[in-house]
Amino acid sequence: MTENPPLPEPITTTAPAARTHGLTKIYGEGDTRVTALDSVDIELGAGKFTAIMGPSGSGKSTLMHCTAGLDKATSGEVFIGDVDLSKLNDKGLTKLRRESVGFVFQSFNLVPTLNARENITLPMDIAGRKVDTEWFDTVVDTIGLRDRLTHKPAELSGGQQQRVACARALASRPAIVFADEPTGNLDSRSSAEVLGFLRRSVDEFGQTIVMVTHDPSAAAYADRVVFLADGHVVDELLDPTADSVLDRMKRFELQTAAAAQQTNSEPPSAQAGA
Amino acid sequence: MLKATLRGLLAHRLRLGLTGFAILLAVAFVSGTYIFTDSLHQALNNLTNSQQPDVVVSAKTQFGTQFNDELAPPTLNSSVVTTVSKVPGVADAVGWIQIRNVTMLGPDGKPLGSNQGPGSSGQGQSWISNPALAVNTLDSGQAPSNSSQVAIDTTAAKNGDFKIGQQVSIVLPSGQTVRPTITALVNRGLSGGGGGGASSLAVWDPATAAQLLLKPNEFTQIRVQAQPGVSQQTLADAIKKVVPPGTQVQTGQEITDNTAANLSSRLDFLNTFLLVFALISLFVAAFLIYNTFSMLVAQRTRELALLRAIGATRRQVTRTVLIEALVVALIATTVGILAGMGVALGLRGLFNLFGAPLPGNGLVVIPRTFLFSYLIGVVVTLVSAWIPARRAATVPPVAALRDDVSIPTRSLRIRTLFGALLIGGAIGLAYNGLRSTGDATNAATLIGISALCALIGVLALAPILARGILMVLALPFAWTSVGRLARENGRRNPRRTAATAGALMIGLTLMSLLSVVAASTTKSTDAVVNDVIGADFIVTGQNFRPMPHAVFDAVKNTPGTSVTTYSRATPALVPGGGDEGQLVTGVDPTQINQVINLDFIQGSLSDLTDGSVVLDTKTAEANGIGVGTRVLLLSQKGVVELKVVGLYAPAGFFTGYVTNLAQIEQMGALPLDLAVYIKAAPGADVSAVRTTLDNELKPFPTAQIQDQTQFKQQIHDQISRLLVFILALLVLAVIIAVLGIVNTLALSVFERTREIGLLRAIGTTRKQVRRMVFVEALLMAVFGAAVGMILGVTYGILLQRSLIPEGITELGINVGQLVLFLVLAAVGGIIAAVWPAWRASRMDVLKAISTD
Ligand SMILES: Nc1ncnc2c1ncn2[C@@H]1O[C@H](COP(=O)(O)OP(=O)(O)OP(=O)(O)O)[C@@H](O)[C@H]1O
Ligand SMILES: [Mg+2]
Repeated sequence: MTENPPLPEPITTTAPAARTHGLTKIYGEGDTRVTALDSVDIELGAGKFTAIMGPSGSGKSTLMHCTAGLDKATSGEVFIGDVDLSKLNDKGLTKLRRESVGFVFQSFNLVPTLNARENITLPMDIAGRKVDTEWFDTVVDTIGLRDRLTHKPAELSGGQQQRVACARALASRPAIVFADEPTGNLDSRSSAEVLGFLRRSVDEFGQTIVMVTHDPSAAAYADRVVFLADGHVVDELLDPTADSVLDRMKRFELQTAAAAQQTNSEPPSAQAGA
Repeated sequence: MLKATLRGLLAHRLRLGLTGFAILLAVAFVSGTYIFTDSLHQALNNLTNSQQPDVVVSAKTQFGTQFNDELAPPTLNSSVVTTVSKVPGVADAVGWIQIRNVTMLGPDGKPLGSNQGPGSSGQGQSWISNPALAVNTLDSGQAPSNSSQVAIDTTAAKNGDFKIGQQVSIVLPSGQTVRPTITALVNRGLSGGGGGGASSLAVWDPATAAQLLLKPNEFTQIRVQAQPGVSQQTLADAIKKVVPPGTQVQTGQEITDNTAANLSSRLDFLNTFLLVFALISLFVAAFLIYNTFSMLVAQRTRELALLRAIGATRRQVTRTVLIEALVVALIATTVGILAGMGVALGLRGLFNLFGAPLPGNGLVVIPRTFLFSYLIGVVVTLVSAWIPARRAATVPPVAALRDDVSIPTRSLRIRTLFGALLIGGAIGLAYNGLRSTGDATNAATLIGISALCALIGVLALAPILARGILMVLALPFAWTSVGRLARENGRRNPRRTAATAGALMIGLTLMSLLSVVAASTTKSTDAVVNDVIGADFIVTGQNFRPMPHAVFDAVKNTPGTSVTTYSRATPALVPGGGDEGQLVTGVDPTQINQVINLDFIQGSLSDLTDGSVVLDTKTAEANGIGVGTRVLLLSQKGVVELKVVGLYAPAGFFTGYVTNLAQIEQMGALPLDLAVYIKAAPGADVSAVRTTLDNELKPFPTAQIQDQTQFKQQIHDQISRLLVFILALLVLAVIIAVLGIVNTLALSVFERTREIGLLRAIGTTRKQVRRMVFVEALLMAVFGAAVGMILGVTYGILLQRSLIPEGITELGINVGQLVLFLVLAAVGGIIAAVWPAWRASRMDVLKAISTD
C-alpha cells in the first residue's frame, strides 16, 4: 500500500466531503419493519464541523453508519468524495474506511492491549503505511497527551481515552471523521477538551468532521447543526450557539408533543382502567 | 434463579458444547476402556467355560521361562492314560497333544502371521473325537484320520487362502516340513492358553500328532470324562492316587477358575494400562473445562453482578455456574458412554493393527461402566468448574453499573511461588535419583515423581512463562501490526493462555519423553550389537523362538566362513532367577568368543569347562556370588552344582548364566538352538557368503538370517511399533487439547467482539482479522508444544541416565521426530483456529461496535 490518502481539501472548496441522495434505510420486515432513514438528502461540507441532532431513535447513528460505509443503504446513494459507496463490496468499503474515514465512538474506542501511541498509529499500521511523524507530533501536541503515549487505555481517564481516539481518527488524515456521541460518557470538562480538540482540527488542519450529539453545548462547537426526526432531515442551523440549539430543540419537542397528542387522542383516564 | 441458569445454558450453548465435547471424549476413553476389557473378558470366558472336561491330568512343569513349551515340554506316556482310564468313575480318558512352534506356511512359502510380534507362533494338536473332551469343533469337512491329513483352523485358512482338499506346508518343531492335505476346518477355541494368540492351528489324528510332534505314545495332557453321577472332585481325588508323582490333576472347574483368575489379572493390567491414558485425557479435559468456565464467568461479569444487585446471594451465583456445569456434564457423559463403544472398537482395531488380534465381537456394557463414567464425568466437571464458580460469586454488585469491569484478577504470586517450589522439589528429586546409582528402579521412580512435580510446577508457572516466551515466539510476526495484536492477545490473559497451552503441554511432554526413551533404547541396543556381536550373520528361529539343530548343520560348512557356532538354552532355577527359573545358555567357549565379545571383569569364556559357569556381574553382586563360588541349579534333570569361573559386564540382552554345551545337555537341553552365529572369513566376499547361506536356509522357512544391520533393524522395528502404539493412545489427549484451543479462541473472539468491530471499522480487512486469530492460535500451540517438549526431553535424558544400569547406556534423541511433533502441534493449532478465525472475520462490524 504505497498510495497516499487523499488530503483534506482546503477550507475554501465548496465541494462536499460526503453527500447522500435519497438515502433510505429500512430495518426488519413486516410487523417489525422500521424506516430508520426516509429519503435523506444531505451534504457534508468539506473542512466543516457538522453536528447531527435529533431525538433518540430519529436515525442519527443510522445516517452516520450508512455515510461512513459501515452499513449498506436500502436505497439511495452515498458518496464520499466522488466514490459511490453502493458500488463497493466489503473489501472496497474496508479500504475506503482505512484510507478516507476516521471514527470516534461513544465508548470502547481503543484496543486495550495497545498503548496510546500504538492505538493512534493503528490504522496506518494495519494499512501497512508509514506514519507521518511530523503530522503525528502535531496531532499528539494538539491532544496534549505526549507524556501519556506509553500508557495503556486502562491507565487513562475517560476523557483522555476519547482524546486518544480523536487523535487516532485524525492521524491517518482521513477525508472525513465521524464521531457518534464522542462526549456521551464524559463530564463537561472532559467534553470541552475533546470538543475543543475537534474544533481546532477543523480550524487548523481543515479536517471535515461529522458528529452526532444530544448535547446543545457540544453542538455549539460545530459550524452547522442538522436536525433529524423520524428519519427525515427536519431543520438545520448555521453557526449555532448552545442557546440557539436549545431553542430549536424546544420547538421540536413542542411540535412532536403536539403530534403525539393528535395521534393518541384517547383520554388518559380510559387507559388507566386497562 | 434456575430459569436464569437455563437461559444462560441456552445462550452459551455453543461454547458449552465445545466443553461438553471435551468431557465427552475423555469419558468415551474411560468407558471405552471398560467396555473393551469387559468385552474381551466375556469373549475369553465364553471360550474357557465351554470346553473344559471333567478332569485334566498333565505333567507338571517347574519352569515359567520363555519358550518353556519347546525347551522343556512336560509329557505323559500312554501307560498313564491306561492307568487313568481304569479308575472307577471314568467314562473316557483321552491323551491329548498340544505343542507350540508348529509353523504353517502361507502360499508365499513364508510363515503365516509372521508379523504378529514376538511370542506368537503356530500350534499343533491332536484330534479328539469324543465331543465331551474335544478342544475344537469342526466348522466343515471330515476329521483327519491318517498321517497325510490335517485339519486347520478357519482363521488360518482365511489368512492363507486355503481350501479343504488342498495341501499345506507345516514346519514341525524338529525342523522337518510336512505337506498333508486339509480335510477339515476347525474352530480355533482357546488354543494357546492366553486366547487366540496362536497364529495358526494344525490338528492331526492322535497317532500322527504324537509321531510328528512328540514321540509315539506321548501326550501333553489327559482329558477325562466322568461317568454320570460322579463328581469332578471325587474323580480327581481318585485319579490323584494312581498317577505318578509330578503329575498334576485338576478338575475342569479348577481350570476354569484358574483361567478366569489368570485372565482377570491380565485384563486388569491391560485395563489399568489403558486407563492411565484415559486419565491423561481426562486431566487434559479438566483443563479445558476449567478454562471455559473461567471465561464464561468473566464474560458474564455484568450479568452476574446484576443478579447480585437484584438480590441473589453469593451462594446462588456459585450454584448457577455449577448447575450449568452439571447439566453439561450429564449430557456429555451420556453421549460419551455411547461414544465409548466406538472407542472400544477402535482399541480392538488398534490391537489388531499392532499384531495382537483379540477374540470376540460383541460389546459388553455393564452397570459399573455407566456408574464409573457418570462419576468421573460429573465429578471432574464439577471440580474443574468449582474455582470459576467461586470466583463468579466474588463479582461485586456494583460491577453491573460500571462500564468496563472485570473480576479482580488475583496476583500470580502464590501460583508462582507454588510452581517454583515444585520445580525446586523436582530438581532435588532428580538430583537424588541420579545419585542413587546401582538401583535403577529406585532411581527411575524418583525421576518419575520428579517429572510429575516438574510438570505441575511448569503448569503453575505457565502464565509467567507465557508472557516472556510468547514475546520471543512472536518475533517472526512482530513486524506486522496484526502479528503484534495477536501476540498481545495471547499475553493479555496469561492464565488463559497458560491453561490452553497447558493441555497441549501435557501431551507433548509425554510424547517427547517417550520419544527420547525409545530413541535411547534403540541406540543402546545398537551399541550392544556393535560392541558385543562380532558375527557377520545371525540365524534365529521365527520371532526368536528356538529352532531345530538341522539349521546349524545346513550352514556349518559354508565356504567363506571362519566361524559358525550356536547357542542353546534350558530352563533352570538359579540363584537370583526367581521362582519360575531362568534360561541358562550353553555355548562353545572356544568358538563363541570370536562372534560375541563379552566384557569379562574376571576370568573368561575360555575358562568354561563341564561343571563350570560364568555369569553377569549384576546377578553375581545381587546374590553374593564371586569367582570360585559354587552355585546350585535345579535343572530339568535335577540339581547340578557349578563353579563360577568368570564374571562379565551385562550387555543389553546378554545377561545371566552361561555354561558350555556338554553341561547344558546334561541339564536337559533339547537339540534346539536359540541362535547360530556366523563370521565370514577374512577377505571373503560377504555378499557372496550371504547368497550361499540364503540358499542353504531355503529348506527352513522359519529360520531367519540377518546381518548386523538387519538384526538392529528388527529391534528398531519392535521398539518403534511399541512407541507408535503408545503414541496412538496419547492422541486422544492431544485432540482434546486442540479442542481446548478452539474453545479458548472462540471464546476470546466473542469476548473481543467490540475490539474486532473497532479494528474492522478503522480498516482492518477480514483477511487480517483471520490472520490475527491464526497467529494467536499458532503462538499458543507452539508455546505449549515447545515447553512440553523441553520438559519431556529433559526428563527423557534424566530417565535414560537413571536407566544406565538397566542397559540403556546411550542417549538417543530423534530430532526429526521431535520436530515432527512440534510441526504437528503447530498444524493442530492452525486447524483449531479455522472456525474461530472464520467467525471473527465474518463478524458484522455494526453489530460488533454496538454490542454492549
Ligand atoms: N439493527 C437494527 N435493527 C432494527 N432496527 C434498528 C436497528 N438499528 C436501528 N434500528 C431502528 O432504527 C431507528 C433509528 O435508530 P438509530 O440508532 O439510528 O437512532 P439514533 O438517532 O442514533 O438514536 P439514539 O440517540 O438513541 O442513539 C430506531 O427506531 C431503531 O429502533
Ligand atoms: Mg445513536
